[in-house]
Amino acid sequence: MQQIIFLSAREKQEIIEKLKNQFGIENVDGEFVLSGTDRIFLYQGNLKQDEITRIQKRTVIERIGIYFAKKINDEIKLSLDGVQISKDKICKNIFEINKTQANDWMMGKEILIETGLRGFIILKYENNFLGCGKASEGKITNFVPKSRRLKDKRN
Amino acid sequence: MKKKNNLELKPLFEERMKKLLEPADYGRYKKILSKPILRSIRCNTLKISPDELKKILEKKNWKISQPWKNYPEVMVVEGKNSEEDLIELEPGELGRALEHILGYYYIQELASMLPIIVLKPKPDDKFLDLCASPGSKTTQACSEMKNSGTIIANEINLGRIKILASNLERCGVTNSIITMSDGVLLCDRLKEQGIFFDKILVDAPCSGEGTLRSSPKTYFMWNVKTIKGVSKLQKKLFEKAFEVLRVDGEMIYSTCTHAPEEDEEIVDFALEKFKDKIKIEKIILPIKCREGITEWEGKKFSKETKNSCRIYPHDSDTEGFFISKFRKVKAG
Repeated sequence: MQQIIFLSAREKQEIIEKLKNQFGIENVDGEFVLSGTDRIFLYQGNLKQDEITRIQKRTVIERIGIYFAKKINDEIKLSLDGVQISKDKICKNIFEINKTQANDWMMGKEILIETGLRGFIILKYENNFLGCGKASEGKITNFVPKSRRLKDKRN
Repeated sequence: MKKKNNLELKPLFEERMKKLLEPADYGRYKKILSKPILRSIRCNTLKISPDELKKILEKKNWKISQPWKNYPEVMVVEGKNSEEDLIELEPGELGRALEHILGYYYIQELASMLPIIVLKPKPDDKFLDLCASPGSKTTQACSEMKNSGTIIANEINLGRIKILASNLERCGVTNSIITMSDGVLLCDRLKEQGIFFDKILVDAPCSGEGTLRSSPKTYFMWNVKTIKGVSKLQKKLFEKAFEVLRVDGEMIYSTCTHAPEEDEEIVDFALEKFKDKIKIEKIILPIKCREGITEWEGKKFSKETKNSCRIYPHDSDTEGFFISKFRKVKAG
């Protein structure tokens, strides 16, 4: 992990505002930690920032918390796990898909469908939240990371 | 069921095991080594309840049992119900399932779940998992802690850190900090910084004698020299970890081996080293536990090593394991 930068309360609030506009998420407990310029990690542990800084002075901290979201231009793309953590708070831009579409989605395929939505949306199949996609005209672009995809048994 | 193996044990290994087990007992031990291990999973309660998970898996026609009454999150996938019979899952089916990819369960051998069951981490604990990868026990601890408190999950090897990070992510763990360090060095530095823990797990690197049923490479890799070498490292890890345990804090020392040099010898070393600062505690497990031995190849150990727990594969149809639990009763 690169240098750990804890976002200030104001910076966190800016992200929350975007999450509220995009997905209806009104709050997220814990600290937001920036990695690089755009990746946001969520840490919900009870070590204080100064304790973490002290550890980092002498030890390599490879990761803190969970990869939660990414800033892309003026929008926020939630990670697959960011979606799962926030599933009880998401109430906007949810698009429900069927079993075949869910299977294709989890295999990393884009879904060719007109959703009537634009920008980042949340994919849901039954009670399962399947991450974030980008809806554009006639399709949803897939962001399921390779390591989390369903494998095609025929391969 | 997984494919049976028909591998040969090395003569010196057999000789040592025969010193640990009576002849009839040894026969049962040897017999079970060729029996495939149970397909066990642990429900990740950070994401789903055991009842919900069981229903979902049963909808896929998987036959699920919950072998330990007080631990409903522990499940065994016995097979798939077909029209007439119970059939085996396809190879890799457990790991390929959507429910696994979404982190609803973790594939974990039964005996490997025991150290955390014994340690009982609580919400708000500060927890150190000194040798954390691949993360089975770390994720289990996080479930128990309900993602509160903090877990420092340490691993020395970058490749193994990637596996650890990926498993913590899949299981939705938000209270962890992954450090990459030699365990001994990490403890020294934490101590310098005045950071102490309520619970510590030292699931030490070991010769892996207990994993013969799931990891046939152990048949080839087993070597008595490894045992002697790793024993020194285990003592060092124990000693340094105990130094960052707070007073009244609890620590588990566990291995997946039967070799006394890596088990009771470490316990004996710790009791001698920390004397009145340390107390070894009795362990209650949901499976059969045999008390630790007090003598090995002429070397006598403290009688208190009996409080440790030896788990043999043929006692409860698991892998082999060793667990001991300690409390720090005095500063220093």
